[in-house]
Amino acid sequence: MEKEELKKAIYKLIEESAGKKKYKQQDVIKHFRQQGLADAQIKEAIRELIDAGDLIYTYFGGSYIELGEKRQGS
Amino acid sequence: MTKKYDTPLLDELEKGPFPSFVTEMKKAAAKSEMAADELGLLEKSFRDKVTYWKHGGIVGVRGYGGGVIGRYSQLADQFPGVAHFHTVRVNQPSGLFYTSETMRFFCDLWDRYGSGLTNFHGSTGDIILLGTVTENLEPLATVLSMNGFDLGGSGSAMRTPSCCVGPARCEWSMIDTLDITYDLTQEFQDELHRPQFPYKFKIKTVGCPVDCNASIARADLSIIGTWKGPIAIDQDKVKDFAKKGVNIQEEIVNFCPGKCITWDGNNLAINNSDCLHCMHCIAKLPGALKPTPPFGAVMLIGAKAPFVIGATLSWVIVPFMEMKPPYEEIKTLIRNMWDWWNEYGKNRERIGELIIRRGMREFLEVCGLEPTPEMVREPRNDPFWFWKEEDLEKKPWEEFLK
Repeated sequence: MEKEELKKAIYKLIEESAGKKKYKQQDVIKHFRQQGLADAQIKEAIRELIDAGDLIYTYFGGSYIELGEKRQGS
Repeated sequence: MTKKYDTPLLDELEKGPFPSFVTEMKKAAAKSEMAADELGLLEKSFRDKVTYWKHGGIVGVRGYGGGVIGRYSQLADQFPGVAHFHTVRVNQPSGLFYTSETMRFFCDLWDRYGSGLTNFHGSTGDIILLGTVTENLEPLATVLSMNGFDLGGSGSAMRTPSCCVGPARCEWSMIDTLDITYDLTQEFQDELHRPQFPYKFKIKTVGCPVDCNASIARADLSIIGTWKGPIAIDQDKVKDFAKKGVNIQEEIVNFCPGKCITWDGNNLAINNSDCLHCMHCIAKLPGALKPTPPFGAVMLIGAKAPFVIGATLSWVIVPFMEMKPPYEEIKTLIRNMWDWWNEYGKNRERIGELIIRRGMREFLEVCGLEPTPEMVREPRNDPFWFWKEEDLEKKPWEEFLK
């Protein structure tokens, strides 16, 4: 899977789970690892999404990855 | 600015011989509305015996998963100055050394962007800047960065590594705690700023077993300086201590956990092969006893105060490791244990708890460590073997030893 495609897939995973399930970074890695992707590749994609502000880290008794839009107006 | 609230309960904390945080908060309240409202809220919390803070959430600096702890008051209408009162953690310099210019920088910075209240330092070791609003976070991080500082760790991440003053000020330091801490901080930037673990992970490095940073009780990974050579003895200095009133037998010999010291009133002898390297004797007789090279570090894993099972001290996993730059051996060890913890750790489960749950044997296997006697935490308690008193009278172990 190309990096941009992976980034879209990760974003979609977080978007679709919003309000239902909170993903930690390792949960995302485990999810895409099943598709034969390397941990480092997934990690890099998450990093780029975070740096771009598309996704953010949140803290609710533990650190999670959520949609970046949530931070606006916080 | 005049005083906004009466604080009779907090005023009680100003009485007595010790410096009071209330006094300092009042000074800050004289020029900061935020600090004044914080004082008022705290008085109300003391009066009602209720904390009115909410913590956590989605506040932060772009690209960072830690360093900012969101705090919001539940009484924002009553205390508007603390509607947002976020805490900012800043990565402290190794050993907590500052110039007065740096201290002025932080004070000016926090008067401008925050409440003016600080905590040098938090228990993790970071510089704690108390109380700011969300819109100040990005400019604050930029100013910090321009002045050579970075945010510290929070959340499910590696926390800012910390250390004792080490060789900079201490004659006993057997490793360069400052360099090790700086190097590990640089090496694991990703793990520090991007939370990716089941829970927090703390690394604390101290130069000797006196453990001024209390790493053995507070760190997931404790790196403690130690020695392999025999303890050097200056008999004249030992006698000087005795002449000055130190009771060598009572205070040194009887306290030795390895029972390896003897004192005949004139001569002190140490059986180094039985020494447990606690350093009690060396610390009690400075100058008279000294550790000798080779120097290195002992690694321990898994300390934490509020475990489900109660407070837990860390557990030896490497009895001796040379600590020379670029510290590849310990970096590899840390990565191996993180991989395992990430794979099997439950949410909010510290690595020590995972070791208890899945076993030290598995942990040693994934870390590539051979079991050694130093790793024995306590003598085995075998629940399936019951001795009766009459059995013990026969001294069965003597038969076994034959």
